[in-house]
Amino acid sequence: MFRPIASIAATTVGEAIRRKVLLIILLIGVLFLVVAPGLGMLSARSETTVLRGMMLGIIQLTSAVIAIVLTVYMIPNEIERRTIYTILSKPVQRWQFLVGKYFGAVAALLMMMTLMTSVLVFTFWLQQRDASAIPDLIKAPVMYFVQMSLLAAVAIFFSTFVSPLVNFFLSGGLYLLGSLFAPFFQTLQESQGTPQAAKIFAQLVNTILPNFANYNIQNPIINPGQQIQNESSYYLQVTIYGVLYIAGLLVAGTIVFDRREV
Amino acid sequence: MRPLAAAIETKQLTKTYKSRIHGKINVVDSLDLHVEEGEIFGFLGPNGAGKTTTIKMLLSIIYPDAGEGYVLGKEIGDMSVHRLISYVPERPYYYEHMTGLELLKFYASLFGINDQALFVRLLEKVNLHRDMSKTISQYSKGMQQRVGLAQALLNDPKLMFLDEPTGGLDPIAHREIRDLILSFREEGRTVFISSHELSEVELICDRVAIINKGVIARQGKLTDLLRGGRVEVTFEGVTEQWLKDKGMQDSHVRTIAGGVLLDTTEEEDINSLIDAVRSNSGRIVSIVPRRKRLEDLFIQTVTDAPAQAAKKTITVEGAN
Ligand SMILES: Nc1ncnc2c1ncn2[C@@H]1O[C@H](COP(=O)(O)OP(=O)(O)O)[C@@H](O)[C@H]1O
Ligand SMILES: [Mg+2]
Repeated sequence: MFRPIASIAATTVGEAIRRKVLLIILLIGVLFLVVAPGLGMLSARSETTVLRGMMLGIIQLTSAVIAIVLTVYMIPNEIERRTIYTILSKPVQRWQFLVGKYFGAVAALLMMMTLMTSVLVFTFWLQQRDASAIPDLIKAPVMYFVQMSLLAAVAIFFSTFVSPLVNFFLSGGLYLLGSLFAPFFQTLQESQGTPQAAKIFAQLVNTILPNFANYNIQNPIINPGQQIQNESSYYLQVTIYGVLYIAGLLVAGTIVFDRREV
Repeated sequence: MRPLAAAIETKQLTKTYKSRIHGKINVVDSLDLHVEEGEIFGFLGPNGAGKTTTIKMLLSIIYPDAGEGYVLGKEIGDMSVHRLISYVPERPYYYEHMTGLELLKFYASLFGINDQALFVRLLEKVNLHRDMSKTISQYSKGMQQRVGLAQALLNDPKLMFLDEPTGGLDPIAHREIRDLILSFREEGRTVFISSHELSEVELICDRVAIINKGVIARQGKLTDLLRGGRVEVTFEGVTEQWLKDKGMQDSHVRTIAGGVLLDTTEEEDINSLIDAVRSNSGRIVSIVPRRKRLEDLFIQTVTDAPAQAAKKTITVEGAN
């Protein structure tokens, strides 16, 4: 059962790393990461936190663009190029195909994000020569990875029924919405003064809207009020949230894709 | 009851597409197919007749709107049967970045097969072993078609679907593919070929169905369908009148330069006529069979069709 999924995932990675668009986006991201320390020195406060925030922002933005560009074309391309025909003529269920594609995307994302994170770690190591700071440094990229996996699942889900261009804006829009407004709706739902109707609405939005903001742990500008008491339990909690949400999206995607004519 | 021997059986299988101009159209219309195990079956029809659509339904790539279909005794949609069948698409729709060997490896892994010796053997069979490290994008069209046949053999299938296997290939490539298909039958496989290249089909198929505008117009043994050819026999030493007096059905007799020419149907008992001519001290100059050709049957079938098509349009409009 898992063998076909693994093969499809491996093939997807092979395709992904050959896509020039993705490599160019990655290259631009890495280029910004490399020049960031130089820019950091220009700023008045040459604090490492500024540099770190900047580099993490670059990693996050680049990863988000890659996650979307990588996934919106994945299923439509298979259908358009009809490579899916031969695959479905083998003993491969549609859900296996979809899940294989998804894991391929996640694996490709992992590779590209690891590369960018390596640049980050290397830069700080050069500056500080302190290996003990590394675990703290990569916490944010790890959470970004969960975030991008969720984003990829959103895009894969939409790709089972909308065109790549529409999907690009849909997934991108949801990402922004979930990053910027999820905390707001959460506050709305929890605060005492909220009217009942608004509370219900907020709860609905909270349930449906993927909470991408969960994972923006290193960005105090975006998440000013967030106080994390127990770090590791928080990370575990949001990771479980992500995995469950991803599973839900894949199930929903399969339901749509099963009925779809290819 | 379905006969156990049927490799493919469809009953009233129908696929409807909506088109903006024509409304709803039955692209495949109440199809009753019957394919025996172990035969090469030719599924013939002009472009757009519904051949690929039928194959895609049998493979559950698309879903029928009405009717039933059985592949190796299992209702279509039953994935377990996909272990026993294989498919070569109309055009080589494969991952271009893979080498021939990688492609086999990939498709084999979908069956849980990993057998390097098998891959090499199959590439040898389709004469690609020298090119197995080239990528698909470097393959010629004929090579891509052959690697397609190789991947279709990975699971040692009982039934193979080949959609226009020789489409757009040169005569040498045609011949290679044809020989391979014949070898599949020798290996005991059932082969379902869709094609509009009739000379090809005539050479290798046991039975055929002719489909036109989604409707099966003819189906049967090739030898039966092509029955009714004519024979021209030229005699010396007998008169035109003598031959006419034999009273053969559907025949013409006329005197030509080298003797008397009889143009009659294959069904007539020509042997006893020849005996009679000889005992009458006549001589046979030549016997030329003018066999009915598949192409004639095909053209006749397809040009007969406008009546059916018109009927269909009326029902469609009636339904709206
Ligand atoms: N997805 C589709 N939507 C609408 N019409 C289609 C679709 N697929 C095929 N058709 C139409 O169905 C008819 C039969 O197509 P096809 O089965 O590919 O023919 P063949 O393989 O015999 O050349 C054609 O007229 C084609 O335009
Ligand atoms: Mg076709």
